Amino acid sequence: MRDSIRSLLRHRKAAVGGSILLFFLVLALVGPWLVMDPTDLVGRPHQPPSRAHLFGTTGQGQDVLAQTVVGARETLAVGFAVGALVTLVGALVGVTAGYLGRRVDDALSLTTNVFLVIPGLPLAIVLGAYLPSGPMRMVAVLTVAGWAWNARVFRAEALALRNRDFVAAAVVVGESRSRIVARELLPNMASLVGSSFIGNTLYAVGAQVGLEFLGLGDVGSVTWGTNLYWAGNDAALLTRSWWIFVPTGVCIALVGFSLTLLSSAIDELTNPALRAPPAVAPFTPAVTAAQTEPLPPGVLLSVRELCVDYATERGRSRVVDSVSFDIAPGEVFGLAGESGSGKSTIGYGLLRLLPPAASISQGRILLGDTDVTALGADALRAFRWAQVSMVFQSAMSALNPVLTLGEQFHDTLAAHGPSSRASSYARARELLAMVGLEPKLVNAWPHQLSGGMRQRVGIALALALQPKLVVMDEPTTALDVVVQKELLQRVLELKSRLGFAVLFITHDLPLLLALADRVGILQGGKLVEVDTAQRIRTEARHPYTRLLLSSFPHLTAADSDGALPDAALAATELAPARTALRGGHR
Amino acid sequence: MRYALRRLGFYLLAAWASLTLNFVIPRLAPGDPATAMFARFEGRIQPEAMDALRAAFGFTDAPMPVQYFTYLRHLFAGDLGLSYAYYPSRVSEVIGTGLVWTLGLAGCAVIFSFVLGSFLGVLAAWNRGGWLDSVVTPVLAFLGAFPYFWLAMLALYLFGFGLGWFPLRHAYSHDMEPGLSFAFAADVARHAVLPAASIVVATLGGWMLSMRNTMVATLGTDTLRLAHAKGLPPRQVMLRYAARNALLPNVTGFGMALGFVLSGSLLTEIVFSYPGTGYLLILAVRNQDYPLMQGLFLVITLAVLAANFAVDLLCLWLDPRTRAHA
Repeated sequence: MRDSIRSLLRHRKAAVGGSILLFFLVLALVGPWLVMDPTDLVGRPHQPPSRAHLFGTTGQGQDVLAQTVVGARETLAVGFAVGALVTLVGALVGVTAGYLGRRVDDALSLTTNVFLVIPGLPLAIVLGAYLPSGPMRMVAVLTVAGWAWNARVFRAEALALRNRDFVAAAVVVGESRSRIVARELLPNMASLVGSSFIGNTLYAVGAQVGLEFLGLGDVGSVTWGTNLYWAGNDAALLTRSWWIFVPTGVCIALVGFSLTLLSSAIDELTNPALRAPPAVAPFTPAVTAAQTEPLPPGVLLSVRELCVDYATERGRSRVVDSVSFDIAPGEVFGLAGESGSGKSTIGYGLLRLLPPAASISQGRILLGDTDVTALGADALRAFRWAQVSMVFQSAMSALNPVLTLGEQFHDTLAAHGPSSRASSYARARELLAMVGLEPKLVNAWPHQLSGGMRQRVGIALALALQPKLVVMDEPTTALDVVVQKELLQRVLELKSRLGFAVLFITHDLPLLLALADRVGILQGGKLVEVDTAQRIRTEARHPYTRLLLSSFPHLTAADSDGALPDAALAATELAPARTALRGGHR
Repeated sequence: MRYALRRLGFYLLAAWASLTLNFVIPRLAPGDPATAMFARFEGRIQPEAMDALRAAFGFTDAPMPVQYFTYLRHLFAGDLGLSYAYYPSRVSEVIGTGLVWTLGLAGCAVIFSFVLGSFLGVLAAWNRGGWLDSVVTPVLAFLGAFPYFWLAMLALYLFGFGLGWFPLRHAYSHDMEPGLSFAFAADVARHAVLPAASIVVATLGGWMLSMRNTMVATLGTDTLRLAHAKGLPPRQVMLRYAARNALLPNVTGFGMALGFVLSGSLLTEIVFSYPGTGYLLILAVRNQDYPLMQGLFLVITLAVLAANFAVDLLCLWLDPRTRAHA
């Protein structure tokens, strides 16, 4: 909590927004004692700014500066009061609905949604017209018209929290409902309460000013809304007296803007994706003689001394460090390593698909005659998918949900040469059949397919342009074992038929050893060992490779000739290996 | 289809809720609401108008449920009573003319602003950190912090009173004969420029910012990564893969914000004395014309509900996943 407040203070938007808001709070508190009485008729009406009246006079001869300063007090007081009240009502209704669920939720959600679609201003006007006037009327009317949105937000948050482990644990322990709400749910909603309060105050100030402008406030009091009401009534426009309405409007906008800045700062702190990524230095790979040698015969892809750096808030961080390997045509090359070892980064690097914060800082990627690292934007686009394609771990979520499969095949084919819709669809049917799917699925949307089917579509899509190399990044991790096996068999069949090479990336070493011709082991961004699958299995040299192998006891049990470790030994070996892997690098 | 019917059912329920609110609110007012309400009209309104009002709103000595059904019966017959401010016009007629102008002005301005704002948001997110993102977005966000009607006042001051480029008030010139002529249409358009522009300026930043933010989130998804990997042309990736997906939550958001945005547009009408429902609303407030006020509340609410239903249908059309659950 203290940390989040500290980071809020460091945030630029938050600092600017907070300063503006603080200025107006101080103005509202002490300002009225510094200026003259805003209701006194101190001069002639409609006087432009002068030394006596810095902001001029109103249509009735009052001091505009005094009116602007004094108006801040009631406007902000009502604004914050309504902001707090709306947050409270919304949180109560929302948390009750979200936490209790079932019938209570049905009834409360329905009420909330009904109030949400009823437009606020007309409702506020009708309510206001029948209630006795005074500041309390404004607070009541704005709260009734504005609580629903908050209730909805808090309900969603309560629903999300209710299913989290620590709340479930409290339920199991047998804590009472009210205690769970007070001790487990509410503290976890602190940031939501904060941002809601700011958003609601923003709503309250705007709606209050609008209602007062209509004449629904107490027109005898001095607030920013009534200032504008009188500006309209006393013909400020007709007499060209801009100074009567401009200061109040600018004050309202500044307060509104400061609240917007604060809420956007909170959004950015809780959702880092919205923050601007750290700047990346332009790509100037250093070239060494070894990197520029032409490809020897029998090599399809050559990765030479590849380094990838991430720009972080604490400077550059190297995630791939001088990695070199070759892949032959038609070969299955495997990359294995723990999460964070840089294996996926290498895969994305081959297609120059790194996220904006990452860049290739050194090395070369050569495919045939093409220097991938040196391709310009258009050449790179033509290279992607036609030469090297990719199957994502998340191919299930990678398909575009709003396009049919046929459209997505068509886009792919048409991007790399002329292809009519009819011929694209024909090719798509062919490809779908090739991976064992019904050709008629060409007209299906992704959400109509199971995870395994979508992964097959991902493979069909990867083969659409008959690339020389297919990068497969954990393509089966999210699937169950049976589907996984079927899928991989299909890939191997297609590979021997079509002759493409595969770069297979996974954390599952046993799978890789069964599948790949050669295997590279990555540790902390460095390639520590490259060898044939057979030799890695039996005579791994690097200690880390042996550590990895030993964490899969059935491997060592089956393959180390004769020396079968007993179950107890396997268990003790397993434990340190896992901890070492987890703590090794991140 | 089931989805559409369920939404329709919800809006019918919401419509019923607002009808009932409209019935309940006057009766919740402190003191004896009916007497209090009619006391304000005493001596200022003809007895037959009073009777029409009582009948229309069910303000009789009958028990509450009977009053309620009387009220509903009159409502379904389109009878909202007589307006006091426009006496002896019927409230339904008065609102009818106003509604046309509001739908024309606010409807066009809000849709135009949403389309333009979303498009700018797409461009800002696509060229993240570019001038559109780092200069235009905050400027529009700042403009969005002004009350709509204040921007309207400023626009009227600068371009109406100051430069004299645009007419100062009303929807068309007094010497024009309303009709389907080109001259009349041009006159109406000239009168609509300033109010529409101030609504657009006030709302543009909001649409732009929310589209930019969902777009930024969409750009980080695997769908986009795959689109780039496939070597698709950048414009296709931006529009067909990123914007098309980022649009969905924003269309839903558009539906939810409609009531709020419409409220702001109503205040804008007042500044320009534009003869829409907003202008009627302030006349009703100033003249304590309760029948008109309540009629307006009802009609505006129903219009917003209908617009929300239209937005739901649009979502249904845009998102195959919603269609599947239908």
